[in-house]
Amino acid sequence: MLRVAKRVLHGLVLLFGVSVLTFALLSAAPGNLFDELRLNPQISPETVTALKAEYGVDRPWLTRYAYWTSSAVRGDFGYSLSYRCAVGKLLWPRVRNTLLLTVLATLLSWMIAIPWGIFEAMRRGQWIDRLGGGITATLLAIPELVLGLLLLLLAARTGWFPAGGMLSTNAGDATVVRNAWDLVRHLMLPVVALALGSAPLLIRYVRSAIASAMDMPFVEIARGHGISSWRIVFRHALPAAANSLISLFGFSIGTLLSASLLIEIILSWPGLGPLVLEAMLARDTYVVMAVVMLSSVFLILGNALADVLLYWSDPRIRAV
Amino acid sequence: MITDPRPTKPDSQPLLRVRNLFLAYAKRRAFAAESIATHALRGVSFELREGETLALVGPSGSGKSSLARCLVRLETPSSGQIFLEGNDLCRMDAIALSSARKEIHLIFQDAASALNPRFTVEEIVGEPLVIHEPTMGHGERKRRVSDALKQVELALGWHSRRPRELSGGQRQRVAIARALVLQPKLLILDEALSSLDLSAQSQIANLFFDLQERQGLAYLYITHDLGMAKAVAGEIAVLEAGRLVPQALPTELIASNLQPVS
Repeated sequence: MLRVAKRVLHGLVLLFGVSVLTFALLSAAPGNLFDELRLNPQISPETVTALKAEYGVDRPWLTRYAYWTSSAVRGDFGYSLSYRCAVGKLLWPRVRNTLLLTVLATLLSWMIAIPWGIFEAMRRGQWIDRLGGGITATLLAIPELVLGLLLLLLAARTGWFPAGGMLSTNAGDATVVRNAWDLVRHLMLPVVALALGSAPLLIRYVRSAIASAMDMPFVEIARGHGISSWRIVFRHALPAAANSLISLFGFSIGTLLSASLLIEIILSWPGLGPLVLEAMLARDTYVVMAVVMLSSVFLILGNALADVLLYWSDPRIRAV
Repeated sequence: MITDPRPTKPDSQPLLRVRNLFLAYAKRRAFAAESIATHALRGVSFELREGETLALVGPSGSGKSSLARCLVRLETPSSGQIFLEGNDLCRMDAIALSSARKEIHLIFQDAASALNPRFTVEEIVGEPLVIHEPTMGHGERKRRVSDALKQVELALGWHSRRPRELSGGQRQRVAIARALVLQPKLLILDEALSSLDLSAQSQIANLFFDLQERQGLAYLYITHDLGMAKAVAGEIAVLEAGRLVPQALPTELIASNLQPVS
């Protein structure tokens, strides 16, 4: 119980640190939304000054930070100057869309990486391992941007998949089943793009972890006892490699909100990606701030989940 | 104290007969078409009879551990034959090899790394039974595990412990119990005493002698320590650069001042 309390406190301190640092950096960045208004000859400097006072932009950053903190606690995360509404209202539907995409992509990546990595580790040095290594190296060398554009080109040329968005324009008139299928079709390209981007690294990690575990003396002894390769993998090597894989899984949970930003922009997925891009271009500080904070929360939750899984899977950790 | 070395039994049939064993590791250089072979064993031949101990001494890199790994078929020899009770391990199919593996076990130097840290002592010792005696009931398996642990003088309370809760000597006893649970005929002890302190060394060595006395086990004791080899073995063979120097009695060997490099 004390350990849980310590972790929660540690997480809160971390969030506080991230919020202070992010807020300070965003405040120190030159320019804001009102600088653009100043360039408009139709808006008088007095109007701009009055607007700045209305939205509290002219106040010291510590005051603004205190305002933002109390707003974040309420779930509003400040006020968006470009959308003219509470950031929370903007954020939650986008977070839901992003999570739908990234959770599916993360699951798909791991579902590919674990069997592929194990298969390669069991055939270390053989042609199939070298072929797998070549495929993953090639995929790693392709930037996510190029991957997204290639898939977009595929969709545009073949018409097999919708070339962007989350639902078709006529989705509202269709039945629930047709809408669900429409959503699945729209999900395919971004999920595949994200999985192709992250799976190669995971495959290499799983292969390396299992291969190292297979070289451990207790695994060699098990082989010497005539234990079958599959039992060796699932009873000895996979549990031995599990700790590093669970930590990596926790990290991939932590990046759920930030991993898909680029792909969302390329494939017009109505998630956090386009929102963050627009907010950064418009210097909409509180939106950027909210996304950074949510990403930090996910990172902390991902690490906490990894710790719980490690505690559950490793009897040595339970014994400490 | 370590007791006298075992006497030899020249009239008994060989349990293990190794004939002209070669092992080469092929290493492919980057961007090179041809691979280079590193020869770990070059025509090793020897025999070991039931109830005997043969010590194999040699400096690091002489091929001792490679030989041990070949004998339990963790490595496939490039050529040569390994006969266990007259059957060539190198020519066996998977089923026959699995059956033969009941008779021959390897015990490593570092018992800490040779035991799965996630398993309990009972799981570690019982696993060979799960593989080789799949029809055995849980109760019978538990009894066999208890018997094996008793043989190595570990009491009942150790069943549920994990390797990290044991001392070095206790871990080595668990490793021995795991080897004994299938009632093998030959144990290959790869520096099995080297990582233990003097007291644990003599206790484990005496345990090996007792087991040999009671069960007629044969040992291939691999070490770089000539003194220890002399203490535990009736015969000593020296392995140098993958080649075996002809077998000799310990006294002759020491007299010839042939000291392996550790």
